Amino acid sequence: MQPGHRARLQDPAAPAINQFLLAVGFGLATASVVALAAVAVSLQVSVTNFINFAYGDFMTFGAYIAWTVAQRGVNFFVAIAIGGVATGLLGVIANILVFRPFMRRRVRPVTLLIVGVGLSFIVQNGITVIWGAEPVRFQQTLGDAMHLGPFLLTPGDLLMIGASIALLVLLHMMLTYTKFGKALRATSNNADLAEACGIDSERVISITWFIAGILTAVAGVGLVLQESTLDPTTGFTELFVIFGAVILGGIGRPYGAMLGALVVGILTEVSGAYVNAAYKGSIAFGVVILLLLFRPQGIFTTAGKMG
Amino acid sequence: MLYFITDLLVLGCINSIMVVGLNLQYGYTGLLNFAFYTYVAIGAYIAAVTTIGPSTVTGVTWVLGWTLPWWVGIILGGIAASLLGALVFAFTVRRLRSDYLAIVTVSVAFIFWNAINTYIPLFDGGTGLFNVPYITGNAAISSEQYSGIMVLLSAAILALFVWTSRRLFRSPFGRLLRATREDEVVTNAFGRPSWQPQLWVFMIGCFMAGVAGGLFIFYITAWSPYAFLPLESFILLAALIVGGSGNYWGSLLGAFVLIEGLAELSRFIPSFGNGADVGAIRAIIIGAVLIVVLRYRPEGLIPERWLHWYSEAPSGLGARIRAIGRSG
Repeated sequence: MQPGHRARLQDPAAPAINQFLLAVGFGLATASVVALAAVAVSLQVSVTNFINFAYGDFMTFGAYIAWTVAQRGVNFFVAIAIGGVATGLLGVIANILVFRPFMRRRVRPVTLLIVGVGLSFIVQNGITVIWGAEPVRFQQTLGDAMHLGPFLLTPGDLLMIGASIALLVLLHMMLTYTKFGKALRATSNNADLAEACGIDSERVISITWFIAGILTAVAGVGLVLQESTLDPTTGFTELFVIFGAVILGGIGRPYGAMLGALVVGILTEVSGAYVNAAYKGSIAFGVVILLLLFRPQGIFTTAGKMG
Repeated sequence: MLYFITDLLVLGCINSIMVVGLNLQYGYTGLLNFAFYTYVAIGAYIAAVTTIGPSTVTGVTWVLGWTLPWWVGIILGGIAASLLGALVFAFTVRRLRSDYLAIVTVSVAFIFWNAINTYIPLFDGGTGLFNVPYITGNAAISSEQYSGIMVLLSAAILALFVWTSRRLFRSPFGRLLRATREDEVVTNAFGRPSWQPQLWVFMIGCFMAGVAGGLFIFYITAWSPYAFLPLESFILLAALIVGGSGNYWGSLLGAFVLIEGLAELSRFIPSFGNGADVGAIRAIIIGAVLIVVLRYRPEGLIPERWLHWYSEAPSGLGARIRAIGRSG
């Protein structure tokens, strides 16, 4: 039930400033995971204009696929890739079978939100039926934790930070320089106008679901590597931390979501170093509530959805 | 066999009370509250701690520990839930678009869940309250007899709440609520405030949630954080939408068929793999039914009949008024 409860190393004798910097380092690792998922959510919201409640369960699904494949002795990175593709396909199928009929009828965003809740029920419990409700251990030992300046990070954390940066740069290049990226931005800006200009917006939306699915699955694996266990509710409990990042960055703005993730990640880890760790999850939710109340348009608002 | 039926009826009535309360919020006013079960939980906890007296077991702690009569406890539970609802409403509902509101309500549910689960002095943390005495006091009665008594009590309260919500629906106040739900701007243009009536009806809905929680804890005699996972609120919402939001018959149908009916049916699903499967398959069915109903029958199995004529005239009127507003 608590998102982001990681077993972190703490040294009570260390000076306060070091504790603080350590927590910032953990925050970076958390942020790299949240950023991938938040960008995925934001990307999808930017073209479809509704919030998908089932994203957390997509994360869980990707992680389970990767775990299953890795159990068979397949290379860890290949396993992540397979998990990513599987989750991408799940996104496309969910879009075509579930969301598209509603979007064609132009129903209210609230209706789509409830549809997402129904989909979340199906995916999360489908996972329970396939893989069981018991948590499984999912660990990838890549070496001992090491000191990097003031930070103390495991190679897995570093790998996740690197992968996150690489994927986000790749996404940025795609959005900026490819024809598809242009089509996506046009659809995001005004779907009807894009359609009138000959852009097949339904195809753009399908591809966006696929890309978002890949990012979500990688985020799911990263989340599980940090917590080292995986169960059918892992992703769902993290969902609202991700929403926090998405909202902070301004809903539907992928670049804002990256910054939002950085803030949320560091905030939850740093606060976790000072208050009872059990309340750490509540801090993320508290941030979501405060933000929605006072800055529902996000902290880093700029002109245009893709700011 | 008789016990099977009375047990089913008690749970069905308690769930129906919750759905009727949720219907006041979502069906009448369009407020999407994913934290509804949190108010049920508050009602249950308050009803217990105001009636069962202080803890006698070391390590088991709860606040208050009063020894009021059970019916006062249930009413206090309802009042506590509605006050909490008013607080949440004041901070959130007035400011947010409906889908953001939904996210905030889920966050509220998580925070309360986390706090109650973690902070043991409040309601005994994750262990929760147990051995809550029957409302009949010390008189020794079997659980069969007790469920018979509880059927009468919960059915009576359900009838009272259905009657109240029916009166509300038909009153000028109910018309105002529905007008606000359909178009807040037009309602305001007619000089009607939109948020005070919404606040009242939100509080009444939370009151019903709290009362349902009180009945629940006195019937099952225990309550813990695992009784109000956020999932429960989603199931109630699914029951309301499938049954038909905006009218009380839909609420009752949804509560009995989707929640109780499926819970009973799932006994006949052959268990394979592990024990969690039956609950999981039930949740999958609820999710699928929810999506299919929203797709093919968005008004629910029993529609809000009143919508038929409403969709004709006043929306056109509203459009005209807004046109006047723009040209002026």
